[in-house]
Amino acid sequence: MPPSQLHAGGGRIVLSQHNGDPVFAQLSSTYPLKLLSPRVHQKPVAVVYALTYGGGLVSGDQVHLSAEIDRGVILVFLTQGSTKVFKTRGEQRLASVQRLFPESSTAQTYTTPTIQKMDFRVSSNSVIVLLPDPVTCFRAASYSQIQTFHLTKEASAVVLDWMTSGRRSLGEEWVFSRYSSCSEIIVEGTTIAKDVILLEADEPGVDPFPRRTLAERMHPYSCYATVLLCGTAVRAAIEHIKNDYEKITVMKSSAPANFLWSFSLIRPDGDGAIVRVAGKDTETVKEWLKAALSCLEEVIGIDVYRRAFV
Amino acid sequence: MDNSDDETYLLLLLSDSNLPTGSFVASSGLESYITHAFGSKDSYERTVSFMHDSLASYARSALPFVSDAHQLVSQYRNTPASDRSVLSDLHSLDHLYETMTLNHVTRRASKSQGVALLTLYSKGFSRPPSFSSPSADTDRDKVDAKISDLVTQFKLCIRRETTHGHLPVCWGILTAALGLSLERSQYLHIFLQARSLLSASIRLNEVGPYGAQQILLHVSRPLISVQVEKCKDLRTGIISGSSSVDETINGPANTWPLGEILAVRHDLLHSRIFNS
Repeated sequence: MPPSQLHAGGGRIVLSQHNGDPVFAQLSSTYPLKLLSPRVHQKPVAVVYALTYGGGLVSGDQVHLSAEIDRGVILVFLTQGSTKVFKTRGEQRLASVQRLFPESSTAQTYTTPTIQKMDFRVSSNSVIVLLPDPVTCFRAASYSQIQTFHLTKEASAVVLDWMTSGRRSLGEEWVFSRYSSCSEIIVEGTTIAKDVILLEADEPGVDPFPRRTLAERMHPYSCYATVLLCGTAVRAAIEHIKNDYEKITVMKSSAPANFLWSFSLIRPDGDGAIVRVAGKDTETVKEWLKAALSCLEEVIGIDVYRRAFV
Repeated sequence: MDNSDDETYLLLLLSDSNLPTGSFVASSGLESYITHAFGSKDSYERTVSFMHDSLASYARSALPFVSDAHQLVSQYRNTPASDRSVLSDLHSLDHLYETMTLNHVTRRASKSQGVALLTLYSKGFSRPPSFSSPSADTDRDKVDAKISDLVTQFKLCIRRETTHGHLPVCWGILTAALGLSLERSQYLHIFLQARSLLSASIRLNEVGPYGAQQILLHVSRPLISVQVEKCKDLRTGIISGSSSVDETINGPANTWPLGEILAVRHDLLHSRIFNS
């Protein structure tokens, strides 16, 4: 698909393999999305950074990225800095551009949300590693993220999805209007994991009780992360995290911990797992993730891995 | 007996706390929430805040499955032919719940309660062989036999491990099989979830039996109404397919990530009295 046929916010990645080298058969994007690929010297690894102009997304922005990863290559997908989602505005931006997604019937309820949709197709013996920075939704922002991963039986995936509570320097703590994230992993046409998180500000008050705010529900943490791991290439990483998890014993405590995490295997064969993390600050969560996923150094190389959690 | 009397009788039957549904071993994360020191220092308030967040997330993630399973079995009940596709649709629904419940502790509890409901139907709610139908209505007998056969088939699939038998799916099947309306089924499911949380709270010495009744009457009631109202029209997309790019608008979702972490960590508790 030539760039001229991409919609606003569209992106397309086709990563092939030639004599063991990863080669981009296609790497194109349109405003406000920008894809960049730095040179890396770690066969068969390729790195793509997804950037947005101005470092954030505003209401009505619709990013739709699709990627195909050919046999025997590894795509590491990163961002530079957190994805900032600005407050929802009533009017439409980019009015002259054809809308990517048709308005749903309930669109009035959520005035022009920001949507980020990504589809990855991963061939055998290939790996997709998604290690973006967290999403930060500002006051009154409305954001939806839909990520789908189609894997063959011998493909693997690492999917990190995380968010922070807002601009804490401005006193924002879970005051966006809506955040939703759906990450689905499909192996050979069968869904093995579909993680859907929905956070809405307006949990209704129940008379005579005051309304329960989102901040109360998320308290005392301001950063939440989810990591999905799937496939034989990440078996060692799963094993490593599982061992650490099994060492934990929880005694009765007097106050919530500064940091908390959980681990579950999600496939009977053990080649799939989910890790959830909550922390009082983003830095603690980042440091923990960096250490917990360090087995990925073996998969993508230490230099590439270092680009992830900076 | 008219239809509403029938329904009232079923409601009384299904809300009996003696029903062997296995819910008495589940705290749905409450025990872990307390051990991890979340919520207020006041145990009564702690139970209320847990119920608020937990029930909202449960309604949002489970009711679409109750609704779809109920619809599938009701349709099956009302069509003269025995369409076998209902079984494969129930499998798809059950599979989707498994893939969306990414938590081994909740999966375990949900499966054991689900299969208990189907056992309850076949062992407890089937007519004794020596009884003839009170209405001597042979058509109704045929429908009952057809539904009973479907439940038996589904149960067999669970035993063979070709499906999981998750609680919301089995609840939808059970209530539709008994002829309870969808609205009542949805409401009762969330009510029972609330009551089961309060039973757990009593066992954990958080609230007393009187306090629990007080919460159930004054706190849970409006809470259940709001959540059921909010989630009653949500569907999984298995039956009709999803019409929207963003499924989170009309579909199941987890609304309390912290509750999820705490529920998984139940198995790490040094001492525990519940199974989930």
